[in-house]
This record gives sequence, C-alpha cells and structure tokens, in this order.
Amino acid sequence: MGCSSSLPDRNSGRLGGLNAENGGAPDAKNLRVKLVLLGDSGVGKSCIVLRFVRGQFDPTSKVTVGASFLSQTIALQDSTTVKFEIWDTAGQERYAALAPLYYRGAAVAVVVYDITSPESFNKAQYWVKELQKHGSPDIVMALVGNKADLHENREVPVQDGIDYAEKNGMFFIETSAKTADNINQLFEEIAKRLPRPSSS
Amino acid sequence: MSSDSSSSISNDGSTDQNPNPSPTAKPLDFLQERLASIALTEPNGGAESPSDQEPQAGVSNGSFIEEIQEVVQNNQAAGSEAVVEEVSESFTHGVVWRDNSEHEVDAPSSPSSSGYAGERGSSSATSESGIGEGGEDEIREVRNDDSVDGVSDLQQSWVPGKRHVDEDDASISWRKRKKHFFILSNSGKPIYSRYGDEHKLAGFSATLQAIISFVENGGDRVQLVRAGKHQVVFLVKGPIYLVCISCTEEPYESLRSQLELIYGQMLLILTKSVNRCFEKNPKFDMTPLLGGTDVVFSSLIHSFNWSLVLSGAQKASLHPDDMLLLSNFVMSSESFRTSESFSPICLPRYNPMAFLYAYVHYLDVDTYLMLLTTKSDAFYHLKDCRLRIETVLLKSNVLSEVQRSLLDGGMRVEDLPVDTSPRSGILSAHLGQHKVPTESPETSREEYIGVGGPFGLWHFIYRSIYLDQYVSSEFSPPINSSRQQKRLYRAYQKLYASMHDRGVGPPHKTQFRRDENYVLLCWVTPEFELYAAFDPLADKALAIRTCNRVCQWVKDVENEIFLLGASPFSW
Repeated sequence: MGCSSSLPDRNSGRLGGLNAENGGAPDAKNLRVKLVLLGDSGVGKSCIVLRFVRGQFDPTSKVTVGASFLSQTIALQDSTTVKFEIWDTAGQERYAALAPLYYRGAAVAVVVYDITSPESFNKAQYWVKELQKHGSPDIVMALVGNKADLHENREVPVQDGIDYAEKNGMFFIETSAKTADNINQLFEEIAKRLPRPSSS
Repeated sequence: MSSDSSSSISNDGSTDQNPNPSPTAKPLDFLQERLASIALTEPNGGAESPSDQEPQAGVSNGSFIEEIQEVVQNNQAAGSEAVVEEVSESFTHGVVWRDNSEHEVDAPSSPSSSGYAGERGSSSATSESGIGEGGEDEIREVRNDDSVDGVSDLQQSWVPGKRHVDEDDASISWRKRKKHFFILSNSGKPIYSRYGDEHKLAGFSATLQAIISFVENGGDRVQLVRAGKHQVVFLVKGPIYLVCISCTEEPYESLRSQLELIYGQMLLILTKSVNRCFEKNPKFDMTPLLGGTDVVFSSLIHSFNWSLVLSGAQKASLHPDDMLLLSNFVMSSESFRTSESFSPICLPRYNPMAFLYAYVHYLDVDTYLMLLTTKSDAFYHLKDCRLRIETVLLKSNVLSEVQRSLLDGGMRVEDLPVDTSPRSGILSAHLGQHKVPTESPETSREEYIGVGGPFGLWHFIYRSIYLDQYVSSEFSPPINSSRQQKRLYRAYQKLYASMHDRGVGPPHKTQFRRDENYVLLCWVTPEFELYAAFDPLADKALAIRTCNRVCQWVKDVENEIFLLGASPFSW
C-alpha cells in the first residue's frame, strides 16, 4: 500500500470531513462519538457493525460500496450513554484513498483483520500507521481480530495481535460476528476509554 | 501500439463530448494520485507479458482466428465513423424511471447452466433539485415456460456475483457460452471476463490484444470479425480494450453499444483517471481496483437482454446512459440495502474525470432515494434532506402510491381501449391504411380467437421522440417466459436496426414483418416510434388499426406515464 499521503479535499480548505454537526453543547452524560471501521475487504467489518447495531449476522457476503452509516446507542453502568455514529468503510483498494473522508474527525477507529489471514493483519498495520499520521491525535484505536470462531484455520497468533496493539497504544480484542462473541464487549470497552468532556 | 489517452484516440469522442460544462471540474486529485501510486507500486510481474514486440506471434496462437472469414476494418484512423450519442432506454412498465433489468436465464441451452430467476425488487429514485435518477427493476420470471398465467411468478433472488469461475478457455462449456464480454488492458492483461476466472484467461486476453495491436500496427482499427455464427466486436478506449464474442445474432451496433455501456460502468466506478495508471505502468494490473464489482458488470450484461439501446439526441444533462449505469450500480450492490450509504461515483457522460458523491437510502424494499452532490463532506446535509423528503413522501402518501403502482404494473395490452373512430381521426399521423375495415370493434374483438390483447396484440413499445421517454406494455401471455421475452427483445432489436440502418437511403417509416414467431410492426414518425408484436396469424389491416389505437391510448394517458415539462433530468 504505497500512497498514504494523498488526502481528499486537501486543497478545498474544508476541514470538516464527515463530522456530525454538533447538535448542542457536549453533555458528559450523553456522549456522541464518530467511529470508523477500517480494514481489508472481507475481514467482516460490516458483519461486526450489523451484529452490534441489529444483532444480525448474514453469512452471504455483501461487498460494501463507499461507506455505510449506522448508529447505535449503548448505556454504560455509570448511567452515561454513548451514541456511536459508525462509518463502515469499504475495504476495497479503490476506496483506500477515500478513507480520510471517513476517519477525519473520528474519535474512535476500529481496525479489523481476519485471524485466518496474515495479509489482512498486514493491512491492519497499514491502517494503524495511516491513522497515526493523519488521524486525530487523541483518537481511540482498537485492533480487532475477527472470525475468532474459525480458530482451526487461525494464521495470526493471538500474541501477535496483543503485541502489536500494545506497542501502538491500542485496545485489542478478538471477536466473532458470527457467534456474537465479544462484539458488545468491544464497543463497551471503547466507550469506557473515551475521554469524557469535563462537565461545564 | 501503446495507445495513450491523448486526443489521437478518436473513439473516445463519445465520452469526451460532454455536453455539460462541468461544475465538478475539480478532479479528485487524491484518487488519481492514489491510482498513480498503485501503478507505481505494481510489481512488474510480466508473467504472461503478451508479445508487445511480436504481436503476430500471438495471432497465430489464437485458435478461433483460423475461422476468420471476414474482417471489417475502418481504414480511417481517425473516427470518421459517426459516434452517435446513444440513448439507452431500458424497458419500463409504464413508468419512465423504472428500469426493467430482468435477469436472464443464462445460456439456457448450455448443459451446465441453471436457470436464474430473479426478483430484485423495484425502486425508484429521485434526488435533490430535480435530479431524478435511479430506477427499479421488476423481475418476473415464470420458470415453467408454459401454462403459467403469468401471475403466480416464481420469485427468487438473483444469485449475485460471477458464475462459472471454474471455467477457462479450454472448457467446452466456456466455449459454448453464447455471449462473452472481456475487458483487457492494452498490454493484454485481463481485467474482466463475464465467464471464467480472469487470471486463467490471460493467454486468451493476450490473443485478443494481439489481434487489436496487429491491426493497429497497420494503421487500421479492427471493429468486427465474423467467424461463422460468431461476431467478435472490438472497442478500444485508450488503454482499455473491450471485446464481445457473441453468437446471438444481435446487430453489430447493439453489441458495440453494449461494450460502450460496460466501459461506462467501469468509469462510473473508477473515473477515466484510471488511464494514468497505464501511462505510468503499461503492465498495470487493474483487477484489484475493480474488486467486488463482478456483480455490477454481470447485472449490467444481464440487463442487455431486457434493454434496448436507442439512438437519439439527448439534451437532458443526466444522460440516460448514466442513469442506467447508476441504477444498475446501486441495485446490483446489495450493501446499499443494508443501510444508508455515501459513495463516490462517476457519471461518465457528465464528467468522466470527476467523482460525484451519491447518498443512497432505501425508503422501502422497492424504492430508494439517491441524492448526488459534488461535495465530499455533504453526507449529513444529504441525510437531513433525505429525512425531510421522506417525511413529505410519507405524509403525501406518494410512497404508498408508488407501491400501489408497482403492484398494478403498467399498461397491459388486454386493457387497450376499444376503438372510437372520431378519436383516431385526431391523430396527426395515422398509420397509412387506405381500406380500414369498418367493422365495429366489439364484434371484431370476438372474431379474434387467441391470447393477448385485441387482434392478437402481444406487446408494444412506444417511444416519444420529443420527450425522449418511452413506455412499453407489460408482458402478458403468451410472452410469459424470460426466454420468450428475450427472443422478443432480440426481434425488436433487429427491427430497430433495420429501421435505422444508416447509409441505406432515407430511414424507413413503417415496416410490417411476419415470421413464424410474430407479426412485427414498426412505425417511425417525427413524433414517436412504435414497435408492436402480434400473433403470427394476426390480420395485417387489423394490426395496423390496433397500432393506431395504441398510439391514441398512449397519448390519452401521456400525462400519467411520461414526465412532462422542462427537462426533468437536468441538473
């Protein structure tokens, strides 16, 4: 993956990207965060989102075009709520140049790979680097090894994921969108790690 | 040999002649850089580096070359052949913005093929500021070709994606396919193949490339090769070569315009800036860039069976080709149905170099709303627009009306109103028939024994030239099965070609043709074109009378079925 430095709208002077207009003052009890999913095509980004948002799993693969937008609100034990506005991006190479459009201004980036595919793990590392270069400085990043149910075909050791995540200050988890394993935990853990706005 | 994308490529003219001053002139540099950098990082794999130096050697490898009987070449290097702006119109069931892109039963005679029946649902789309685009398809297929009355259609999801990936050019089944489409690069690298795995077809692609470059080296351009029942149609678009190999007996012009549409579909996904990849690296492998789009191409190719490509001037800014390609792209990409999406797309006829952004949201299973913008950051604005549009559509019951009309379907030949002579007299153009029988319509209707509409009318297509819109009747018995429908479309296609045969004197006005399958009647006036199919035993005079009634009928309901007023599809 060569070219990372090309950003959409670099010349246009617009800085907003796909950020929701702030609908009101920040509320320490009700957070609203932009989350972007990145990763190689076919690792299960859309499946993770659909499992989280709708509790569904569709084994027929539907290639995402551009990016899909979904939102889901979760309540934490400390009685705060977090509304995730999720950009589920297409993993295809031709959309890679458009990724900044979706990750710009994102508070959370979830970088997904497939534990049966070392290639997708490499791609995940590419995305982490890209985010470190061009993402928000205080972005919360999670590294997710998906398809954990296919452990008999595993090609990326858990420890590799743990090590890489640790080195890069990321939260790491292995999930299965198919069995729903760790899907809610992923988002709850992210929610806990979000910087809270100081109540004003 | 290495044809570049400069102005010397004459047949690029059709897309370059963009009628619109492009407000989106600012190309997305980032993607171009992206594409360019991919090109740079592309390893020089040259595994099957196709005989750049010795194209002749490649030619002798091609097995089907031996069958060549006739090579039609255009001696003029520059495109003296008029590139007609093609207005592609797909069949609608009564409503103009509804594309019927029925999915074909693939090569039904082939032993290994299975019948695909598809019901893709239907949808219509409109967009901000009157950019009405999009479409719907309504797929009805009766699996049993006979004895089904056309109501109890088996509806089944069309299986997306490419079929027969296991095949290659050595497979007998592959060779028996009736219609192949290939996209390849000018270095002979396969980009897309309708059947089989592109990578396994590298040798075959190299052969096609060799034919093209061999002729090009002689300062010529190969357009059509006939080999027995097969036609091999070539289209060169800068570094991209498109080839169709068909034994469907469709006219050359039809196959060529299908290749143009496939090229347009590719541009819709990537823009023309993909050419730069080839400038930087002639051996660039484009297949990864089109990853996951097999279904978009196969769905488009599929729709060729149900679409007619008609020529005509087009003033509207949103070109029908763009509409067709856009709606095909949206409807063939299942992910749009899952949630609202925001995706870059290029409208080749609008501006082949720049991306627009499409906001797509399904209002219900059959209907989607698409909003187009030039602004990459307009998602939330468009989402807000969509909410407001949706509210209005719901409150005004438009959505349920759309649903109802989808269920009702379009015009049916059985519903053709009975003749009322005074009315027919109003028709400015009246299909010439000097001895119109003066029987009363009621009795004559009884005289005819058979299926279909009055006097054996089976089907019709009416195109308003002024509005550049058309309407066609619903399929009804005996045109039940998709195979019969396909056959009828092919017959129309031939009829159309014969009516519009350039260079053979003035265009014909009417044509009456009878064979063992149909009576086909075509009538072309400055105002409209009518194509009608009748029972093969239909009476000629009555068929002509019926056509007059069809025209009157369409005029009577013009307000309902056509979008009238100032160009509805302009920006």
